[in-house]
Amino acid sequence: MKRFISILTVLFVVAGLQAQGLSLTGYARNYTGVLLNGDNEFSIIQNTFNLNVEQSKDKVAFKVNPYMYQYSNQDLEIGLREAYLDIFFESVDLRIGKQQIIWGKADGVFITDIVSPKDLTEFLLRDFDEIRMGVTSLKADYYMGDNTFELVWIPRFTATMFPPEGSIWRPAMPAFPVQPVIDHSREDVQASLENSEAFAKYSALTEYIDFELMAGYAWDDDPTMHVVKQMDMSNPQHPVLTGITVFPEHHRLTIGGGSFSTTLGPFVVRGEGAYYQGKYFNTTDPMVKEAVVEKDYLHYLLGLDYTLLDWHLSGQFIQQAILDYDEAIDNDEYSNMATFLATKDFLNETLNVSFFMYYDINNEASLIRPKLTYDLADGFSVLLGANIFTGTEGMFGQFDDNDMVYTQLKYSF
Amino acid sequence: MKYKISMFLLIMIFAVSAFAQEKITGLQVMEKVYNRDTGNDMEANLTMTLVNSRGEKRIREIKQFLRDFGKVEKKIMFFIKPADVRNTSFMNWSYDDENKDDDQWIYLPALKKVKRISSDSKSDYFMGSDFTYDDLGDRKPADDIHKILREEKLNGEDCYVIESTPKDEEYMYSKTITWVIKDKWIGLKKEFYDEDGDFLKTLNIEKYDKIKGFWIILKTKMVNKQKNHQTVMELSNVKINVGIPKNKFTERMMKRGLK
Repeated sequence: MKRFISILTVLFVVAGLQAQGLSLTGYARNYTGVLLNGDNEFSIIQNTFNLNVEQSKDKVAFKVNPYMYQYSNQDLEIGLREAYLDIFFESVDLRIGKQQIIWGKADGVFITDIVSPKDLTEFLLRDFDEIRMGVTSLKADYYMGDNTFELVWIPRFTATMFPPEGSIWRPAMPAFPVQPVIDHSREDVQASLENSEAFAKYSALTEYIDFELMAGYAWDDDPTMHVVKQMDMSNPQHPVLTGITVFPEHHRLTIGGGSFSTTLGPFVVRGEGAYYQGKYFNTTDPMVKEAVVEKDYLHYLLGLDYTLLDWHLSGQFIQQAILDYDEAIDNDEYSNMATFLATKDFLNETLNVSFFMYYDINNEASLIRPKLTYDLADGFSVLLGANIFTGTEGMFGQFDDNDMVYTQLKYSF
Repeated sequence: MKYKISMFLLIMIFAVSAFAQEKITGLQVMEKVYNRDTGNDMEANLTMTLVNSRGEKRIREIKQFLRDFGKVEKKIMFFIKPADVRNTSFMNWSYDDENKDDDQWIYLPALKKVKRISSDSKSDYFMGSDFTYDDLGDRKPADDIHKILREEKLNGEDCYVIESTPKDEEYMYSKTITWVIKDKWIGLKKEFYDEDGDFLKTLNIEKYDKIKGFWIILKTKMVNKQKNHQTVMELSNVKINVGIPKNKFTERMMKRGLK
């Protein structure tokens, strides 16, 4: 109750400050989803309040973006998605504080877009601004005509946020012969100068092509699962597996890559690629310590956007290739994926129909997301959608039982 | 003798000028409209009021900046209303070279990304209004064949009435008819006919004014008869030749918005 009163107090104070020229924008939303697995269970009943408080004065500005998720069966979740200060100079901008930093030209795929970690509490189903977590960082941009040089320093590493125990979106653990024990003692990356992350980007937007070149010295946002087996060696001829401990652990990654986007007649052609050095993959090779091997890999994409009969169409092909591959590695040497989007507006843009699909080619599995959005009034929309998972394995197939239909009512102000 | 020569010259001058007046072609008229000088740069607030068949209104508000860089004209628009599109921005670079398509980008605040988009779909309607991107002045005169149908007065103004038919038979309009004010080169009224040749919509200029010596259209109304839907577009706070900086038309400003 005290917490609720303090939130209300903050809201009243903020509302009072509006008179002082603060810009208050945001939305209130109700999101209700039902699983289609036969029991008609609710997959989500969520009420959201998202507020953007902003002000700018000549060369300085700030933004604070508090949000609240209220669930029928969980504690109120409150946070700050962003909270930063801007300083604008003649050809340099500085942004200091918690911020979302988005790079690359890919849609819905993360290749060079690795600065802000992901909130996968609800897998990839949330809106992209909700999947992106703000990170406390210093960002400096230097502008020269249509060229931009960007440096980002993140003092403290933030990992991907995974769904809590018991969530239907919790990724499946690999099958072990005995029930493993998860030991988180190696998971934290100590906050120190040596452990900070740094990224650099050069980008240009020109009449012929837009491109970005980037490099990063980062931590792998997703922990590697180090597997330690306990063996009973009383009979050396026949050792018996007595237990397994899994240690999630983050490793350093060095990344170099780039992306481009250009028009080719009626098409927009997009590409993005990155070389990752220092990634750890799980292996079934019994001789390998802790069942992990370090391998570099390439991740790249080619995309095409086109408009046909007022339908905006977009397709992407994505491949991840592990270099110096070893057959014992759990992942495939080449992981292939495709995405497809079709969207069209009707009734003077009051009705939008959209269809988005991720297709995991290796596992013949997909996530299909049809949506119908209708604007009842300016800033008030009703969304009817479905998330359909097909296949049985892989990133999407593992959620085959989580097909759902949902509605979202959203009031933007 | 001198008198005869003077008379002859006078007659010639009249004949030449009359001939010259006769000679103006439909294409020349439309080029004069397209190239009408509106200053080197302009900033303005744009309000669009969309009214559907039930009389329900929706309002779109935009702040726009435009600057002529010689061979390229750059435009940037910041969306203010409705709330769900606030901070979206759109940039267009339009080239004098008729063989070069416009470059266009959109910044979507939810994605925090500037996306290059194809300028090929100029038949798309702008923000749900009754105006396509072409209707907003993007269509180049050379894309159509123009014919002067007649000259007549409209709202007290002497006008050329021009029929324009697209060179591309697949284009969304089979023809348009434009009333162009002779001395101001403003398209005062325009009728649009759909692909089947049926009457589709009418554009009327409801207000124009001279600002800093340039004729600027301030209020227009497009009425779509087939959909029974209309859009009123109004410019306010118009500022001409204020020296908008070059860097206004960059990715930096698209992302920063109106800060």
